[in-house]
Amino acid sequence: MNREKEKKKQKFMTMERRRVMEAYMFISPWIIGTAVFFVYAIFSSIKLSFSEIVQLKGFVMEWVGLANYEHILVYDINFMPIFTEVVIDTIINTPLTLVFSLIIAMLINRPNAGRGFFRTCFFLPVLLGSGYVMQQLLQIDATGSVGVGIALPSLLQGILGETFSGVIQAFLDRITLILWKSGVQIILFLAGLQGISSSLYEAAKCDGATQWESFWKITLPMISPIILLNFVYTMVMYFTSSDNALVAYILDQVFTSKDFARGAAMGWVYFLFAFVMCGIVFAAARGLSKDKEA
Amino acid sequence: MKLDLLVVTTKIKKFIIKFAYYLVLCSLSFVFLYPFLKMVVTSVMSDSDLINITVNWIPTKIVWGNFKVAFQELGFKTYVWNSVIITAVGTVGHLISCSLAGYGFARYKFKLKGVLFAVVILSMLVPVQTIIFPLYIQYSKMNLLNVAKGYLPILLPCFFGYGLNGAFFIFLFRQFFSGLPKEMEEAAKIDGCGALRTFFQIMLPMSKAAILVSTVLSMVWHWNDYFEPKIYITNLGNQVLPSRLPGLYKLLNMEDSMELVEEMGGFLFNNAMLMAATLLVILPILVIYMFLQKQFMEGVERSGLTGM
Repeated sequence: MNREKEKKKQKFMTMERRRVMEAYMFISPWIIGTAVFFVYAIFSSIKLSFSEIVQLKGFVMEWVGLANYEHILVYDINFMPIFTEVVIDTIINTPLTLVFSLIIAMLINRPNAGRGFFRTCFFLPVLLGSGYVMQQLLQIDATGSVGVGIALPSLLQGILGETFSGVIQAFLDRITLILWKSGVQIILFLAGLQGISSSLYEAAKCDGATQWESFWKITLPMISPIILLNFVYTMVMYFTSSDNALVAYILDQVFTSKDFARGAAMGWVYFLFAFVMCGIVFAAARGLSKDKEA
Repeated sequence: MKLDLLVVTTKIKKFIIKFAYYLVLCSLSFVFLYPFLKMVVTSVMSDSDLINITVNWIPTKIVWGNFKVAFQELGFKTYVWNSVIITAVGTVGHLISCSLAGYGFARYKFKLKGVLFAVVILSMLVPVQTIIFPLYIQYSKMNLLNVAKGYLPILLPCFFGYGLNGAFFIFLFRQFFSGLPKEMEEAAKIDGCGALRTFFQIMLPMSKAAILVSTVLSMVWHWNDYFEPKIYITNLGNQVLPSRLPGLYKLLNMEDSMELVEEMGGFLFNNAMLMAATLLVILPILVIYMFLQKQFMEGVERSGLTGM
């Protein structure tokens, strides 16, 4: 009797072990990739940021501790202003992008005439590319103003005065840019909205919920995982986009000034910020879902 | 009478709501369409139309010659194939490696799953720019830098779940597979079907939606990316198509400052030709998307991203 049980258990164990083996078989390409293309690069980049290159040939490094970080944070007069600007831009743009893309996704999610046309329209920016082509098409100049965007009518400009209309125009430029960068987010939100069963809305309607209420009580909770995915995607997109001033500065350090160690240190300061931001968002998302359960 | 009035007012109210809805939609899509249409219109303008401020949208005559000059200046014939190779191979790599990894993460339970998936997210967060330099050194140590026209450092990671936004696709496939019912696999297992065969013959055919979405996104991103090619491809003749544009734009700006117009094969090197060149660069991707558009949108709708 006992032996039989043992035998059963053993068989179960091997089954389980087999499942685990299968799992590793499926993710093994990715594990190899992580080892070769990620872990090594990450560690050598971190190491590089704490070192100085003594000899470029053969890459001889010398440990210098926090000197690089000290240099970029204290002595480099360009880094901090650019960094703060990029950080503020990202903090403003990311939520705005999410809000706008959710609104657009909800607009085109309704059954309407010309559905296909509108969808292609909103996906156009993704097709046109995120980098150079878009910059040229929108005629974005170095100060970040958009040549072909939503413009304030000249009549209004006269009424509002130069300073005030300038502020509004800057805001409109930002909106244009944000709209142009929200193609993927719109698609992802659309996928999420399609997945919500319409019976939920019908039930809410029967119970007397307004559309406004059912948005907050049904739509938002149902797509919260996509909000998280989109948030991470949007932030990473802003951090790595080619029209980002800080990325340009880091690349300039690395490839023009050949100051590899400082470039790496800058990269890590930058990444640390992104990481903290994502950590906050993940924690907030977890806290929210716990509230829901309680 | 009173009822009639009520019906009329609700009808008017409905009409106003619908009108406002389409107004918002149209004005939003105009923001997207405007620069694109401007590019299309400018690309066929003649030189006099470009200077003439009364000509805004409708050119007095259509000059296809702009495209001819742009075609030559871009070196379209040679560079388009480089782009096609990178895009095709990279996309195939992503589809294979990311669908496998996504399936592993979606369907199996193992000890390190949580940690490993956190690494997937982490790799999504680290900008390429931060680690491109150590990677470059690593490739040069491995003697992989100038292999296969210098495309190897760009394409090889795609087959291992890395490369351009590789983690994003793993995430996408994981979400998709976890939304599929388990019964099919269990039935296949009882019938003695192995894990790999189950994946390729049962799961993959069921996941056309996710495959399509990933294909379109991976294709578009590979086609438009020129950061990695700029760094890894040293031989100019092996460069990708979008990397040709900055040079052309610079050339035009230089001419502007010198107030000099260069005559080229009867056509002027001007803004129209530049727009034609830009259009040519994105044309292949636009054409492919037009063919895939319907299935792509259906795929998006059925990708089951809510079941996270």
